[in-house]
Amino acid sequence: MISTPDLVRTFPFPFAADTYRYSTNVEPAGSAVPTPVGRWGERVVDVDSEYEHELAERAAVLATDPTRSAVLPHMRPACWDAMLTLMRELASGYPDSMSLQRHGAGWRWRNDRLGIEQDFILGDESTLPAEPLAYIAGQVQEDIVLLDQRDGDLFGDAGVVTFAADWSFGFDVGMTFLEIHGPVPRLRATGVITRAREFLMRLQPGETYRRTNWTLTIGRRLDVSTELYHEWGPDRTMINGVTDEEFGRLVHLRVEVQHLIRLPESGSICFLIRTYMLPLADIAAVDAWRVRAAAVLAELPEDIADYKGIIGYRDRAVQWLRSA
Amino acid sequence: MRPDLELTSVPGWALTPTRPDADLSGRAWTIVAFGPGGADIARDWLAQIASAGGESAVRLHHVDAGEAIEVLTADLADARVGWRLMMAGPAEACLQLRGAATGLGVADDEMTVASTEVDSRAVHCVHCGAVTRARVQLDEVLPCGSCERKLLVYYHVSRRGGTYLGFMVDAEEPAGAVS
Amino acid sequence: MNTIKLVVTAVDDTIGGIRTLTLADPDGAALPSFTPGSHIVVDCGGSANAYSLTGDGNSPTAYVISVLRCDEGAGGSRWIHDELALGDTVAAGPPRSAFAPVLRARRHLLVAAGIGITPMVSHLRSAQLWGRDVRMLYIHREGRAAYADVVAGLGEHASIHTGRAEFTDELLAALADQPFGTHLYVCGPASFIEYVTGAAADLGWPVSRIHLEHFGSDALDPGEPFAARVTSTGEEFVVDAGVSLLEELERRGFEVPNLCRRGVCGECRLPVSAGAITHRDLYLTDAEKKAGDALMACVSRGGDETLEVAL
Repeated sequence: MISTPDLVRTFPFPFAADTYRYSTNVEPAGSAVPTPVGRWGERVVDVDSEYEHELAERAAVLATDPTRSAVLPHMRPACWDAMLTLMRELASGYPDSMSLQRHGAGWRWRNDRLGIEQDFILGDESTLPAEPLAYIAGQVQEDIVLLDQRDGDLFGDAGVVTFAADWSFGFDVGMTFLEIHGPVPRLRATGVITRAREFLMRLQPGETYRRTNWTLTIGRRLDVSTELYHEWGPDRTMINGVTDEEFGRLVHLRVEVQHLIRLPESGSICFLIRTYMLPLADIAAVDAWRVRAAAVLAELPEDIADYKGIIGYRDRAVQWLRSA
Repeated sequence: MRPDLELTSVPGWALTPTRPDADLSGRAWTIVAFGPGGADIARDWLAQIASAGGESAVRLHHVDAGEAIEVLTADLADARVGWRLMMAGPAEACLQLRGAATGLGVADDEMTVASTEVDSRAVHCVHCGAVTRARVQLDEVLPCGSCERKLLVYYHVSRRGGTYLGFMVDAEEPAGAVS
Repeated sequence: MNTIKLVVTAVDDTIGGIRTLTLADPDGAALPSFTPGSHIVVDCGGSANAYSLTGDGNSPTAYVISVLRCDEGAGGSRWIHDELALGDTVAAGPPRSAFAPVLRARRHLLVAAGIGITPMVSHLRSAQLWGRDVRMLYIHREGRAAYADVVAGLGEHASIHTGRAEFTDELLAALADQPFGTHLYVCGPASFIEYVTGAAADLGWPVSRIHLEHFGSDALDPGEPFAARVTSTGEEFVVDAGVSLLEELERRGFEVPNLCRRGVCGECRLPVSAGAITHRDLYLTDAEKKAGDALMACVSRGGDETLEVAL
């Protein structure tokens, strides 16, 4: 096993069948999903053994490229809303190390894992070391996008996205939900994304749903945004020249667990994207995963494989898994 | 495989010259006309508004792309709800003005766009951030004016920036390959 | 359908014809937070009515609603006025948001008539918290100034009327002269809403800037009971109002693939060989719905004839 054991135990293997197509695969959040080697899904905000590393990675990405984070001015109430909601989720998921309590006229937030104790007043930015969305983004592994619901549509008007899988949040800020997904070949033609939008617009406060998304990434590389495509793109060609041993180590199954939350006070929608990666070598160690992943990859239509950027090494991945 | 373009973030009027009627549901209008083609359309719009009795509530501006945001901002300073923005000219200038208008709070149903020409595009290099303007079609390749990478002009338009997404087209080509 | 049990902890009948109720969790726990402008659907002794939440919206200890007594109608408001008493329990749905403040608005112009003031109250509360520019125009009958103190708190930014002519004059002047970026919110009797929105449209207001309190007419109503039959076992049963076909089948031990349980994902599609279908999903195409040979079990329902589910 290459990865730390807790990462294998909590890996959200994304394939429920031997074939994969885009679908509006939303389901209520919060229930545990058992896997052959463990389970995932009980928590909306998930902290694992990569916590400190990923937070440091996020900080490094933002220091180099501040365009990965944006808050359009009208989204300030939504940012406070998101911050409080994520603090509540962390406190409920990790009560030994995190807590959120009323404190006088305001609140007291405690995150022992990072050595943080912060008193703040809702709506008063001077009581936080950073703007609320940036503040909480520095304490969760999830990427965050906030959608403003207005004019019968959803607008991606705030967010911190440092681990994008081949898209650019900086370019997309201010676009509608359908526009952001425009480039994906089958999503709009089949109505999958329109249904997803209808679904999101009907979400009520207190409702949280989730879905998964997946691709392959070469190297355990979190930031595969379009901005850096010139850095990680060449790996897709390089990978065909490596040994089998290296192939199994370098090619990762990358899964996003997305949580969709209707924020109560602002009415905005909080879209959380949590990224998990396991190398094929660790996937192959679980036979059910090995067989199913190979089946899905083998059957995947060309246009989907092409859009996911895996068409150049998909056949080798199938072969590798089948003979592992 | 390119998706059906109607289902993407590229407005129809940025692909095909389009000439809608004036929006007569408004009560006051700012009309921005770029170039002689835009001026021609603006004349038509003015006539339509006049037959509805609204010509005294029109502010008409013939400007270069670079001046448009300034006149828009000035008109918005004392505009009342009921105001509409109508723009006519090359799609590139319209995309830019629409982007600025969106940032200033103008809603989609307060804007009307007529495009006279759709072959010039502003392409945003996602790698270095520079914007390169050229006569180029979707799916064609354009060198970034700043970092010189070869950019694929993608069917993805930033609402706020009015630019097309451009990303490196040959990142996955083996080193040393002749393109 | 999700139900909250609430106990009546206060009843205020100070204003004739308007009963204000304070509703709390029987165990004293905090209630779900809600977005300004939200309402709850209350089970009023058999009929279901929507009432705006006027209290604090942040994990509140109580919900507050004000109910106008209507002599016409199904009798829900009469039940609340005449039957419901302090200490009684009522069932209600969780808060639903259908009238939220637009975050981008440069100013919020709130126009209300009579009991239509109720969804505006939470708007005012939120506006205070976030320092928003709010103006209010309120017309009410003499002696029926609900929430007058809250409106008075707005000082010169609120205008209260009891006479229609003066109200109309001020309304038309206000609609003609709002700074660009203002959004309009209207609540009151249907004819009032129609009048105000018509006046706004005449003055050039675009649809995107006009917001009406619909009380979520798209909220799923519990539907009518219907009879169903499963082909393979011959089992016949009735699916009650408020219960979905999916839930009933699961209760009876059938395994039906499902995921979202609200009509979007397509997983719970079941073949139908007889009986009219009331489609309430977002998944099937119009052609598929017309063909009448499949339904989405989590939200769609049968009609008068027995629904023959080819399971």
